[in-house]
Amino acid sequence: MYEFKYSNAEREMEVYGYDSVVKSHCRMCHGGCGVLVYVKDGKVAKIAGDPDCPINHGTLCSKGLASAQLVYHPDRLTYPVKRVGPKGSGKWERISWDEALDTIAGRILDYKEKYGAESVVFGYGTGRENEAVIYRIANLLGSPNVLTAGHFCYGPRIATSIITCGTNPIIDYDNFPKCIMMWGNNLAISNPDEYKGEPFSVALDAGAKLIVIDPRLTRPAARADLWLQLRPGTDAALALGMLNVIVNEGLYDKEFVENYTFGWDQFVKRVHEYPLHKVEEITWVPQEKIRAAARLFAKTKPAALQWGVAIEQQINCADNDRLLMFLMGLTGNIDAPGGQVLYKTPPIVNVSRFGAHAMLPKEQAAKRLGGERFRLAGHFAIINPKTVWDAILEEKPYPVKMLFFISSNPVLTRANAREVYKALQKVDFMAVADFFLTPTAELADIVLPAATWLEMDYIGDFWKRHGYILPRRKVVQIGECRSDHEMLNDLAHRIGQGEHWWDTFEGGLDHILQPMGIRWKDFKEMEYIRGEVRYRKYKEQGFSTPTRKFELYSTTLEKMGYDPLPQHREVPESPVSAPELYREYPYILITGARQPGFFHTENRQLPWMRELHRDPQVEIHPETAAKEGIKEGDWVIIESPRGKVRQRAKLFSGIDPRVVAAQHGWWFPEKEAPGHGWDESNINILTDNAYDGCDPEMGATNVRTLLCRIYPEAREGE
Amino acid sequence: MKKNALIIDHEACWGCKTCEVACKQENGAPDGVRLIYVTEDGPQKVDGKLSFLFQVNICRQCEDLPCAEACPAEAINKRDDGIVVMDDESCTGCRACLEACSYQAIAFDEEKDTARKCNLCHHRVDKGLIPACADNICLAHCIYFGDPEEIEKILAEKRKARNAKSA
Repeated sequence: MYEFKYSNAEREMEVYGYDSVVKSHCRMCHGGCGVLVYVKDGKVAKIAGDPDCPINHGTLCSKGLASAQLVYHPDRLTYPVKRVGPKGSGKWERISWDEALDTIAGRILDYKEKYGAESVVFGYGTGRENEAVIYRIANLLGSPNVLTAGHFCYGPRIATSIITCGTNPIIDYDNFPKCIMMWGNNLAISNPDEYKGEPFSVALDAGAKLIVIDPRLTRPAARADLWLQLRPGTDAALALGMLNVIVNEGLYDKEFVENYTFGWDQFVKRVHEYPLHKVEEITWVPQEKIRAAARLFAKTKPAALQWGVAIEQQINCADNDRLLMFLMGLTGNIDAPGGQVLYKTPPIVNVSRFGAHAMLPKEQAAKRLGGERFRLAGHFAIINPKTVWDAILEEKPYPVKMLFFISSNPVLTRANAREVYKALQKVDFMAVADFFLTPTAELADIVLPAATWLEMDYIGDFWKRHGYILPRRKVVQIGECRSDHEMLNDLAHRIGQGEHWWDTFEGGLDHILQPMGIRWKDFKEMEYIRGEVRYRKYKEQGFSTPTRKFELYSTTLEKMGYDPLPQHREVPESPVSAPELYREYPYILITGARQPGFFHTENRQLPWMRELHRDPQVEIHPETAAKEGIKEGDWVIIESPRGKVRQRAKLFSGIDPRVVAAQHGWWFPEKEAPGHGWDESNINILTDNAYDGCDPEMGATNVRTLLCRIYPEAREGE
Repeated sequence: MKKNALIIDHEACWGCKTCEVACKQENGAPDGVRLIYVTEDGPQKVDGKLSFLFQVNICRQCEDLPCAEACPAEAINKRDDGIVVMDDESCTGCRACLEACSYQAIAFDEEKDTARKCNLCHHRVDKGLIPACADNICLAHCIYFGDPEEIEKILAEKRKARNAKSA
């Protein structure tokens, strides 16, 4: 194998005269890649991948390389501000950190006294590795309400894996899977958890077979041995069809099934409800292809399943996750070298313990919004966004008075954006911490300037499941910006939680590392620490589930009153479930395919990233475009029963003519404050958040698949 | 003289565009001026299957140099190591090279009124460094720099390993 290990740091230093190079850990997405940060005259001068990092082996993505454009962006908020005009008027005044935090603290204590701690909702978006501090402050306050992306992103993988096999199974790329099934994912250009695109690329170059499940032709789909172009939203049926083949052809690991699974007979019965002719009808995927994929995946050892968030942002979220885990488990690939491993974190205070969930009084936990409806989510301290909007707008089941969003832009990222906007306008008090005055921050009362990853010390990948932790080392200080961890540590003292926090957050880092007998100052001298790697641990100790088995039949879900076996449910708006609506809105709209350079709503103000994508684009098959009178590059209107937005047409024959694919997260930082064009191209204007369309277990909002019509903007109003 | 070439393994490219940004970071080309850029090739039906590739477009360092021949200012020259260098200082902004290049690999900087192209980071190469886009930044490991014969050997092996799967 050709060895890539360039990035000659010593020579770079000599040639360019850099003053220093700092090894750190990127966080332009969820975090993950080791980086070398070259510094000159106290400024970040160049960013490169760290060739010695076991996650990325020196490679990086476009976002990581553009980090300095974020750090030094002229529009960055570098000091706290408070609103001086009416809400949402875009008028701000500089204030001190003391005034900002005292105001926020005063509000928190006030609302707690008058309406209960549950009236204060903390929130974060897809996570800037700040989840542990945010849960800690909320739990210690007594608020069970932390609004995250966890209902439909990664949280479901954590929750469903814990109830199925004890923890999230992560691909063991170090041992070269020989077959990879990539399901609703394109990790080379997206923002994957744990591993990034590099080890996947290497595994393929080493000869791994590839199966891709995706409604769009991605480059991996084009390179794959088998591409299954399914009808959007039918992943569960497709997985059940593959499991049907694996069961009926005896392709499963019999020793594993016999000794280590729970509920085999019931599971087999369920699988028989999905014969291939029925699955073909549901999914549009020809039976032969389903059979071929099932056989290839089951017969090639080791095999791994590279899954992604697309399967979670649907009504079938939890069942999709479980079914894909069944594919891993029944083929004997769980905890197998080159398969999918239940890695051990190093012995640290983990995210859950640091999050102080045990400190939340039971009677407060019982008040978790939506906790009675979305019981699996509630059990894992996750809430559905609409429950918060309803609590603000209708004060049901009780009023929510205050929001504190840290790295979150829900008017862009949550379904039914107009309702979100209304709730944010109405809420009594809102604080936001972010890099810029985003359309969400523009509705706040106080906005705090957040530090980027280059401005903080932290234990990177602390929350992940590949078993690594890596030091993120502070390189620069920008204005008065503070890390989310530092600002919440400070705020915690002001609301009477001092005894559970530290003088500075370095104390928090020491606390996390304390079980290992080291402190932050020791860890920051290290490259990384990885938990012990052992395979097939279940043979000695079983799985960490109620039955100690790999649960095909979930005893946890049964106790919660759910169907213990996974099933296929139709999305609420589909040609099958809503044929009348389909006549009016004759295309299936899918949303959210990732664009290199963007991280959801982030980075549209970074010149190098925006140069990659100037405008929002919607993919449409050339036949469909011809039928609708749409030409390449036209601005088109995409419309659903909730509203309409504009994006530019990209003609693309890698999509079914019945399906169109719109981008998500678009706002226009260059457009006038306070709106910044938040509702012009924001696809969540179109999505729905009604409870009965959400996953019944996790409360995942279905933002991925709905019905729409599409026509040239020039024809609007005709 | 050691020959230097930049060779792209297009089958491996995922279209992540990290190379474009690595180039921006190194060469500071302004917005809209791209010395390396990734385009989509397809989808189109090939043998009944939809083909869809990314193409990394960059100066090919041609053997014959239509761009240099077209340049009245003699601003484009091939060095002994094979690197074709365009000297922005000598460029008069006549755009003849843009017309002459059959790969659309030459950009134009409207502000400075000069042409720009990839000079294979010769300022780095001369100091023992690797061009920015090829410096192990690519997460698909699809950009190679060095002796073209050596690279072709590596790529042949890579293709063999990749295709072993069809056996």
